[in-house]
Amino acid sequence: MDKVETGIARVKQNLSLSLSRIRRWPEFGVILAFLTIFVFFSVFAPRFLTLRNLTGVFTIVSELGIMTIGVAFLMIAGEFDLSVSSVYALSGFLFVTLGNSVNSLLALIITLVAAAGIGFLNGTITLRARIPSFITTLGMMMFLRGIMLALTGGRSVVYDGDSFVPTMLTRFIGRGFRPSHIWFLALAVFFSLILTRTRYGNWVFATGGKKEVARAMGVNVNRVKVINFMVSSVMAGLAGCIVINRFGVANASFGIGMELEAIASAVIGGTFLTGGYGTIIGAFFGAFLMGTIRIGLVMVGAPAYWYQAFVGAILIIATTINIKLRRLEM
Amino acid sequence: MQQGLPLVRMVNINKRFGAVQALNNVSIEVRHKEVLGLLGDNGAGKSTLIKILAGVFSPDGGEIYFNEKQVEFSSPKEARARGIETVHQELSLVDMMTISRNFFLGREPAKGIGSIALLDKKKMDKECRRVIAEIGIRVRSPNEYVSILSGGERQAISIGRAMYFGAKLLILDEPMTALSVKETRIVIEHIKKARELGASIIFITHNVYHVYPVADRFVILDKGIKVGELDKKEVSTEDIIEIIARGRV
Repeated sequence: MDKVETGIARVKQNLSLSLSRIRRWPEFGVILAFLTIFVFFSVFAPRFLTLRNLTGVFTIVSELGIMTIGVAFLMIAGEFDLSVSSVYALSGFLFVTLGNSVNSLLALIITLVAAAGIGFLNGTITLRARIPSFITTLGMMMFLRGIMLALTGGRSVVYDGDSFVPTMLTRFIGRGFRPSHIWFLALAVFFSLILTRTRYGNWVFATGGKKEVARAMGVNVNRVKVINFMVSSVMAGLAGCIVINRFGVANASFGIGMELEAIASAVIGGTFLTGGYGTIIGAFFGAFLMGTIRIGLVMVGAPAYWYQAFVGAILIIATTINIKLRRLEM
Repeated sequence: MQQGLPLVRMVNINKRFGAVQALNNVSIEVRHKEVLGLLGDNGAGKSTLIKILAGVFSPDGGEIYFNEKQVEFSSPKEARARGIETVHQELSLVDMMTISRNFFLGREPAKGIGSIALLDKKKMDKECRRVIAEIGIRVRSPNEYVSILSGGERQAISIGRAMYFGAKLLILDEPMTALSVKETRIVIEHIKKARELGASIIFITHNVYHVYPVADRFVILDKGIKVGELDKKEVSTEDIIEIIARGRV
């Protein structure tokens, strides 16, 4: 009898040990959700599980995902960036305009520097004026979008420059794969390493976790924030350039509402809206989840409106699960 | 180490915030390996005084001597470089980070150059595990989150961290507010241990019962003025409370 009881106890112990190991994995929730959705569409959408379709998903995911990485990186430091969608459209516009008269690589570099400048402005205004970044970047989002629409009158601009940057960013490289997929993967790995394996990453977590403590321990909190604002903006700018190079045309209405998709992807991936906690790998899978749902719903024949409803429901469910998992640990 | 000379002398320190004279010609000294209880009611100027010593504020007037050498700190970093470490009640650890990441925050060991060098995680975990074991906290690993620790354990880790980084002067800002009686005792043991290891300690509190068991001397402030400087042999807790309440000896 005793033996059985100790046996049961041991099994229980092992079970709770492995459970505690899994729950320590911050990306557990989002990966599980992604696999569930993926299997669901593989079963119910006939042509979902084909290489051609999956690379198509990857293309959309890469563009949203690069933006999401930047947004998550900044959110972990405790700040928001709603202006990413406008920076995305503006960068595309700037690139096309410049690329039509100068070398495309130079156009790309100037565009990304300009995006960094907007990020710098977002950060500096937020810190100097001591207003929430939610407000600063909401204002910036509307301001930039308004200016773009006013200047272009809603007309599209066609890209007519050389093919260097288009090849570098998004032209097919075979079997439906594009360079943007590689960019997305590489940037996810890069920022994940920065966050978890460098001194700077430690400062980012501390800045978002409790900036007074970070400051008391000698971290230059304001510098960390401004740098992360710039990262968020540059990533949005890069995503914008990628999509514009894929379409070959820029329009002032590109990317409306995309900032919320990026934030949702980051949050679904386990990043705290309040800062101080999150992972880039989670953001990576968060973006994949969104892209899969978008394409999958179309393929099962659901009207496009269902996408929003679906994402809304998943956002709430995933955040609830993520918070519960963190409470077990913290 | 010269036993006769003090480790720190603050001479005629003045500080004004707008219309408020926060400190009015306050002078204190801290001797080697002593625990100085810095007492006073809320708003007496205790925090301002130690923030000047820790490099958070610069004084409007007065001098600071560290090991008999005049010093001026323009940031907490400079004070820390001299071995002046502050342990705040609320400002020492980030809840949502692991113990090991907190332990080395701002001073992370890294392999490489600059802020993009890779963290030496192995060293971080090893050193942190050793200090935790010395302190006697029972956690499974240095990769547990700080949020699971009790208030006393947090103070112990903060003190252990300061000592690990070679603190010569440990400033404890209200270290026992919101601690249980049992934990208060544990923190006192850690303070004694830090003193044995060679550190001098300034213990700031408005509650004389917290500091009396461990202090060697007391300085009492009231409305920015030093109203008393007493040896433990000369006074009882009741006397000190009386001084704090009346604002004079």
